[in-house]
Amino acid sequence: MAHATDQWNGRDQSYRSSPDWQSRIESVELHEQTSDVDPITYEVIRHRLWTINMAHGETVLRASGSPVLAALDFNMTIMTETGEFVMSAPFSTFLVGGSSLAIRFVLERLSRAPGIEPGDVFVVNDPWIGANHQMDVLFLHPVFLDGALFAWVANAGHHYDLGGIVPGGWPQNAPDVYSDPFCFPPFKLVEKGTLRNDLEEIILRQSRMRDLVALDLRAQLAGNKFAHDELVALCARYGPDVVKGAMRKVIADAQAAFSKQLSAMPDGRWSDVRYIDEALPGDRKTYRTQLNVTKQGDRLVIDNDGTDEQVEGVVGIVYSTFQGSIMGALAVTMLYDELFAVGGAERQIDFRPTPGRLTCVNHPAEVSGGVMNCETHHHAIHTIISGMQGTVDELRKDIYAPGGDFPLAVLTGEKDSGAYYGQALLEAYAPGTGAGPGHDGVDTGGKESAPLAKVVNVEMIEQWYPVLYLYRREAIDGGGVGSRRGGTGLESAITPYRARTMTAVTNTGGQGVSTAGGAGLCGGFPAPPSRYTVRKDTNLLAWFADRRLPDSVDDLEAGTTIRLAGKSNPIELGEGDVLELRVAGAGGYGDPIARSPELVANDVRLGYVSAAVAKALYGVALAGDGEADLAASERLRAEILNDRAKWSRCDAGKGPGDLPSTPATGEPVRRLQEYIEAKDERDLRVLACAQCGEVLGDYASNYKHGLLIDEGPLSVLPTAPDPSAFIDAQMVLRRYCCPGCKVLIKTEVARAGEPVVDDMRLGSAIADGMESGLALALSHE
Amino acid sequence: MSYVLGIDIGGTFTDCVAVETDRGAARASHVEIGKASSTPPDFETGFVDSISTVASRYALTPSAMLGSTTAIYHGCTVGTNALVEGRTAKVGLLSTRGHRDAIFIMQGGGRLSKEPPEYIAHVASHRKSDPLVPKDLCMEIDERIAFDGSVLVTLNEDRARRSIEALVERGVEAFAVALLWSTVDPRHEHRLRALIEEIAPGAFISLSSEVSQRHGEYERTVATVMNSLVGPAMNAYLRKLEVRLEEHGYRGPLQLMGCSGGLMSVEQARVLPVLTIGSGPVAGLIGSAAIANLSSASYGGDIITGDMGGTSYDVGMIVAGEPVTRATVSYEQYEYYAPTLEVRSIGAGGGSIVKWDGPTLRVGPESAGARPGPVCYGRGGEKPTVTDADLVLGYLNPDYFLGARLKLDVDGARAAYSKLGDPMGYGPEQAAAAAVRIVENQMADAIRLATIHRGYDVRDFTLYAYGGAGPVHATGVARELDLQRVIVPLSNFASGWSAFGIAASDAIVIAELGAALASPFDAETLNDHWRHLEDQAQQKMSAQGISANKVSIERFVDMRYTLQVNEIQVRAAPGHYTSASVDTLVAAFEREYERLFGSETGYADAGFTISGLRVRAAAPIGDVPFMQIAAASNGARPGGWPTRRVTWYEMSEVKTEDVPIISGEALAQGVEVDGPAVIEYPDTTVVLRPGDAAHVSDIGLIVDVTRKQDGGRS
Repeated sequence: MAHATDQWNGRDQSYRSSPDWQSRIESVELHEQTSDVDPITYEVIRHRLWTINMAHGETVLRASGSPVLAALDFNMTIMTETGEFVMSAPFSTFLVGGSSLAIRFVLERLSRAPGIEPGDVFVVNDPWIGANHQMDVLFLHPVFLDGALFAWVANAGHHYDLGGIVPGGWPQNAPDVYSDPFCFPPFKLVEKGTLRNDLEEIILRQSRMRDLVALDLRAQLAGNKFAHDELVALCARYGPDVVKGAMRKVIADAQAAFSKQLSAMPDGRWSDVRYIDEALPGDRKTYRTQLNVTKQGDRLVIDNDGTDEQVEGVVGIVYSTFQGSIMGALAVTMLYDELFAVGGAERQIDFRPTPGRLTCVNHPAEVSGGVMNCETHHHAIHTIISGMQGTVDELRKDIYAPGGDFPLAVLTGEKDSGAYYGQALLEAYAPGTGAGPGHDGVDTGGKESAPLAKVVNVEMIEQWYPVLYLYRREAIDGGGVGSRRGGTGLESAITPYRARTMTAVTNTGGQGVSTAGGAGLCGGFPAPPSRYTVRKDTNLLAWFADRRLPDSVDDLEAGTTIRLAGKSNPIELGEGDVLELRVAGAGGYGDPIARSPELVANDVRLGYVSAAVAKALYGVALAGDGEADLAASERLRAEILNDRAKWSRCDAGKGPGDLPSTPATGEPVRRLQEYIEAKDERDLRVLACAQCGEVLGDYASNYKHGLLIDEGPLSVLPTAPDPSAFIDAQMVLRRYCCPGCKVLIKTEVARAGEPVVDDMRLGSAIADGMESGLALALSHE
Repeated sequence: MSYVLGIDIGGTFTDCVAVETDRGAARASHVEIGKASSTPPDFETGFVDSISTVASRYALTPSAMLGSTTAIYHGCTVGTNALVEGRTAKVGLLSTRGHRDAIFIMQGGGRLSKEPPEYIAHVASHRKSDPLVPKDLCMEIDERIAFDGSVLVTLNEDRARRSIEALVERGVEAFAVALLWSTVDPRHEHRLRALIEEIAPGAFISLSSEVSQRHGEYERTVATVMNSLVGPAMNAYLRKLEVRLEEHGYRGPLQLMGCSGGLMSVEQARVLPVLTIGSGPVAGLIGSAAIANLSSASYGGDIITGDMGGTSYDVGMIVAGEPVTRATVSYEQYEYYAPTLEVRSIGAGGGSIVKWDGPTLRVGPESAGARPGPVCYGRGGEKPTVTDADLVLGYLNPDYFLGARLKLDVDGARAAYSKLGDPMGYGPEQAAAAAVRIVENQMADAIRLATIHRGYDVRDFTLYAYGGAGPVHATGVARELDLQRVIVPLSNFASGWSAFGIAASDAIVIAELGAALASPFDAETLNDHWRHLEDQAQQKMSAQGISANKVSIERFVDMRYTLQVNEIQVRAAPGHYTSASVDTLVAAFEREYERLFGSETGYADAGFTISGLRVRAAAPIGDVPFMQIAAASNGARPGGWPTRRVTWYEMSEVKTEDVPIISGEALAQGVEVDGPAVIEYPDTTVVLRPGDAAHVSDIGLIVDVTRKQDGGRS
């Protein structure tokens, strides 16, 4: 580990503000004065701040006209004078996580020289100083009132192209930052209201599409300017001190609401393990990440212990993304009543990732393409949040299983007219959403990290790029099975049409194509993974001549069939070749054999579930008319339960903590998730099956140790490939059931031989371990 | 004497406006309004009842009135009601193989774009609207046409036939046919119609290429399915209506209000009933535009319309005399192609519920609706609403609500607000003022967003306020926005406002064509398209008996910079095009783009794309003289108005004083009223705050709003 002085310095390691950072602000007077604000004025100002922030986004969209920004690959915020979040937005929620860091960097390092003055705008895309990756350029606009720094407005947006070895900025084959799009630390692009053309030119010079970058840059400036002016007008109306009071109260209210939810949860530590394949195309290695959240009282400590060291290639994310994804996930799961006022939640969290690991990489790691793994990380924190919310009756309704990793296929080449084209197929904007207690996931529902992102009409895409869509539909068996079914994703197939040349490359986060899609919750299954299929030299034209269209690319005769890896180098597509992209669905919730047979029969009738999966995984037999055969289904389900009875005790790694030792508390039975509860058993507090009462172990134990386990191939998941086609690691699906009633309590994807994941470990003794970190966190404020 | 009737069927009431004209005389001599309960599902009964009511004001029988009626203009909610109440046809959908799911995918997260922020933020609560058609009534057809019109897969008629037969066996009674790129070449859709007519004679059929000519399979398919869902119900209604009108001896034309803001023939409404959905909110906008365009008066340049009902606040915009248009209509989370007027809704209405949730007081978006409704309705509602606040503050008269049709419970409303105010230490007036202040600010924020979205500065607008609750809050909203003028159009006849709007509408035919033209544009191609579209529009006009010399034609193109997504509608010149007129068109586009999106925001080096051409044919047929309508109420100004205790808010301060309560019906044209005052009309109430000044004009009440006393914009 680096010396303390090098830690979080924004050069080798990501920048983070140290506890005394404000002492280094020079030559800038901060507006810290607040007035009491009555609840009505507060509500009026709060609504107005939200309106200003949304209109800020509208202004950027309108002025840019960029299809990339129109897909909402940007976000905007209002922040306090010291960079605390007051308002954020539901576009790409992880995008502005770092604006807080970047603002503090500017205040700490640049306030003396070149100074921060009214009319200045700072711009930065350095991932070690607040950007998500180099393509998401941050614009920071200070708001001054009467010479004092009152607030900041900021936005981040994905640009068309900023150089680097692959057009578009998601290189699947870049070893390090020097092959990425160019990277610049914060500088003053606008000085006292005047755009510095010399500095702008330095940015534009790096781009393959300089004019469009210039448009987006101006659009982002215009958005900030709008929000700045509206904020100033709001202060003129109500007085700066009242507005500042309201801003502080927005944060304080969010903090109070967040603290209240945390206080309702039992203390403990929650963990989630995720794997990432292939550092570079052709690499068959698998890398491990782990995210841990320790909760004590109303505070959290979040670390990445158990995560592999960073390596060369496209597998890492920076601190800004680590933190931004977590805040984005919290915004849509625990802070929705606060309209994304994430600043309050941030005060309750101490982020303690170890730098140099895959989820907090140091310079000069590759970042621009590795950012695909921000979804992987988002799903990890989401899974943990669901586990924590599951422990509180009132919060349980808000849990849902996560979605899958993001699959991206980029097509480039020349049209028959000779014109160049190059663009990602964004089919992955319609994955399924996860199932939760009381509801199925939404089929092709959208991305949880960017809830408004949309898929564009086929009739639009066919005008832009030389492709013909053979189909775009909701995939069968794409969602994780469960008593509540996960939402299925899109399945699309294209063939070149009026293309002179076409090549495809892929870039996929996590284990997006090798193991599974969205993880299951509470015994629900993971969804099958995404899939890229290329079939070359097919007889498609013969089908056309025969007045037929294939329902699946598998129906065609083909010369060769290639399943592309998650990260693949260019493959050529010519006439008669087809590419199918199947976007993973989200996880299921609850034991699949608890799903009502009528619902399963309906899923089969509507094409969401195959009869084979209905039988094998749901234990539902269908009669000739397609209705559920209840008697036969009952027999199938009894067989499934019998099979589970043969699973072995999960003894591996059983330690002394597992022996019941926590004294009884006298508290009532407490539900911890769908199938697990805490209760007093004579003089001990234990974990037990919520369905049959079977005691699983000590209150502070890993509940899985008390369960029966089955470890088997991932081919149990419908349509899943054999992972060995892509990677060397032996990946397995672990299923755990109650030794008493055999209800399926947990499923997880793991590397064979690794200990069972300790995903929920309750007890204040566990949480006490975070004390030292807590002290550090408090000193930050 | 002869009459023109404007009839608007709403959810609760059917309004009929009768304009009496002396044949040969230029001016209307008299106007009356009649009201009857709507009678779903047999709406034609309420329709005739409303005519009976208005006829009785002229001491006529309905038959006598209809016998001398020259035209009937009609806005109806039959289509909307069929959708809301699920009385739609069993529809089968035929789509290109591989693309059936477009209407189930709903563009993924794109479907959420019109949802309120509270919903978008709460991801766990996201769902999809119920399918418009069950998936097992959707069949995929082997056929494929490319974007360039090439037929890549010829229609497989044998398989198509089997699919249609299967749907008939499943009980399908109406068909929607929506194939990819049918906008470029509709031949396969036409052939499928022939097959359906052969297999299922008499079934209602919609072809996507006839419902909309715009590219984009999702919105076009939804439009086609919607058309078939409401088609049979609409046709049944129109048949019954025509029978009833014939029984009463009416032989004149019947025109229906469309969502485009114009009237269409009953024949067109039979084929394209989807165009009647959502015509209600649009009628008010048309009426406002009609008033704004009266040449003699300066009724306020650019206009914001604010229509506040029980559950929502609908905001529209009229710029340079033209309502702002939009290419799509939203229904639940669906979006479909139909040329319409932009109306943005937020969940802030009289029934919006006010609640204290710990740190803040929040208003809406939950609504108490009509049942149980506000506390003061005395129908079992227990949660305080905006209407209750209006009552507590003295804005509403408990004995004269809806023209005294509903007696309001003041004590109940006060008790509810007293309870609500407790945790804040507020009395009932202060709590009610707080609720009103919040809702008026939300309405102001909605207007801000609507104008920003179109690139305008809100302070340049005049606010037209209508809907039962609109005029109550209009002056408060205007102050918040720094607007100087509020107009309550035809205040005496506020409840008939939609019916007036309908009667004031032109016959409108819109002919559109989806295109993918890249610059440099070929003048001859454009000429061919214009000729084709204008012929189409003229034919539809002459089919409803409107002669060509009465029709005025406007041309528009949808254009964008080739590498950018912002598409705007640009007015195109009439006449024959040369390369010079093409240059003019491009220049007009660039000017409008700069105005909307800011200078130097367009990227001309990438070239230009025309994605659609549109012809809007309009013929004046209604010609209702608004100025005479309002002037028709002859009142005087008696003195000695009664007073009532009214509470004002100024930021967080509240002040209660005795305020004159004026009967609006008694005010003569030209009378001036200074605030503070409350002016009561049978169907609405106008609240004049201290400093506001109103005068009764020929078009309704005009209020000059006092500027904010606590600082404006810097």
